[in-house]
Amino acid sequence: MTDLDTPATRDAEGDGGLRRSITGRLLFFYVLGDVLGSGIYVLIGAVALAVGGAFWVAFAVGITVATITGLAYAELVTKYPQAAGAALYVNKAFDNRPLTFLITVCMLSASFAASGSLATGFASYFNEVWDLPPALLLTIAFIVLLSIVNFIGITESVVINMLMTFVEVAGLIIVMIIGVWYVLQGNADFGILVEFETESSPVLGVISGVALAFFAMTGFENAANVAEETVDPAKTFPRALIGGMVAAGVIYVLVAIAAALTVPLSGLQDAGANDKPALLEVVKEGIIPPPVGFMVILFSIIAMIAITNTTLVSVVTQSRILYGMAREDVVPGVFARIHSARRSPWVALLFSAVVVIGLLMSGADIARLATVTVVFTLFIYALVIVSALKLRGQDEDEDTFIAPLWLLVLGILGNLIVLTYVIYDDPGSLVYCAALLAVGLVLFLAEHFFGSRNSPGGNAVATSTVPKEI
Amino acid sequence: MHVIVATDGSRQSLAAAKHLKSFADPAKITTISVVAVIRPYAAVAFADDLSPAKATSADFDSLHFRDAADSATKAVAAVFDGWGPKVQVRIRSGSPASEIIKAAKQADAGLVVVAAGSRGLSDTVLLGSTAQRVQHSAPCPVLVVRPAPRKRKK
Repeated sequence: MTDLDTPATRDAEGDGGLRRSITGRLLFFYVLGDVLGSGIYVLIGAVALAVGGAFWVAFAVGITVATITGLAYAELVTKYPQAAGAALYVNKAFDNRPLTFLITVCMLSASFAASGSLATGFASYFNEVWDLPPALLLTIAFIVLLSIVNFIGITESVVINMLMTFVEVAGLIIVMIIGVWYVLQGNADFGILVEFETESSPVLGVISGVALAFFAMTGFENAANVAEETVDPAKTFPRALIGGMVAAGVIYVLVAIAAALTVPLSGLQDAGANDKPALLEVVKEGIIPPPVGFMVILFSIIAMIAITNTTLVSVVTQSRILYGMAREDVVPGVFARIHSARRSPWVALLFSAVVVIGLLMSGADIARLATVTVVFTLFIYALVIVSALKLRGQDEDEDTFIAPLWLLVLGILGNLIVLTYVIYDDPGSLVYCAALLAVGLVLFLAEHFFGSRNSPGGNAVATSTVPKEI
Repeated sequence: MHVIVATDGSRQSLAAAKHLKSFADPAKITTISVVAVIRPYAAVAFADDLSPAKATSADFDSLHFRDAADSATKAVAAVFDGWGPKVQVRIRSGSPASEIIKAAKQADAGLVVVAAGSRGLSDTVLLGSTAQRVQHSAPCPVLVVRPAPRKRKK
């Protein structure tokens, strides 16, 4: 990096002027909070529906594949700490502009679909507390509100981020306590944990469950957002990323087991089939002493906070990707426009909100949108691992974290197997994938045919806004 | 006296630096620290509107928010070139207001110069203005440079 070569920064070293703010612990909580919110609060019912009583297996397998992918991310981040995610790794590895563009649009699309899915999950919990507003209106209001919050920029607080993660974990600990309580009462039937109840073979059932459970692990890649600001990234980043993912994974498996033990399988599956919050069924069983009504509201609020946290990060990711693409001159320059006072990319935020609302209004349910996210992320993850392998032997020093080769190969296989199955199982999701990719293509064409006056890129855009500000 | 000049990469922050130069006595200022704060969790961690357009990197490179902060601080520091006081630049990371205040405390600053970003409605409605929070808890006097009122509505 050129950081140390410039006189200005050399000057700044004296009293720690180059200080970075994300410590290993903060990064750990960032990863944990980002991962936990996304999946289990929203999708546990759908996974139970796919696999049967043994659905914790699906979570365990999904988490393993995702964590292996995390190793590839960790390796690449230690090599290129300034890189903001998959697109740059692929670019470094293949140096192929169309491929880089494709992967960037995939990241963007995955994030759009994830936001939609999370918003629907949020609405399902909200309706448990207050059953009045129609779900569609709620999800739209949710997305609009989060975009405004990001525009104002109050999510930047490191403290709030940590608090939200604590709340998320607290909700899952409640589920675990209920599970332990139930087991101690001696009512638990552990037989359910090995029960596969699928339409086809258990293996296929598990794979389709894995595909959904995989959604629960997405989000960790957003940690690359803050890689540049991480203290001593070569050392901290692999530890915090893998630590956060393993911690989330252990919590997931325990929560899945607790849910399977305490709630009749049909209850979880019905909830999964109707977009109802299945995890709430655990609380509704009334196993622990506090009144059920109170616990349901408390748990719903916790779940909403968890989902909000993860959705906020995905909204940030979307606008950041759009901003980056506009700076690279592959989408129209307006996306790089920064609000003069709030310093937020307001056009990118607005556009993201419109796309996500479009997804919500298309009538897709949680599982469909989650599947779309998973299709994109599996493709991205597989390509990131390939990039990690291709970049082996370059830019390495003694600090570089090197992931075990056989694990990475296993990771590629795992990603591809799940990807193939998802597409085979739910070909309808491909329509959504194509639609989202088309959005990217339209932006590219718009820039290609109408954007020439903006060249050479983002900096020209920045100057073009100047006259309006003076 | 040590003066902290904060920049968020906006043109208003450049105007604030120029305003300081327009009236302050360089003989009384020992050092000027130009401070930029990168917001790692924000959608755009740092946007630089100040540097002249340069050719963008030919490939998809990273967003280099540190580079943006670096060039913005240099653009502001250039205002004080040859004015007298020693000029240094500082890039910090975190929440802007608290990092500016920390920088002021560490440097034992005698003055903090910040720009109040917005005019109009968003200024009154939206909370959490950095300038507001800095002037609320800074350990020294604060110069808040507000944008000139607009002649007519845009």
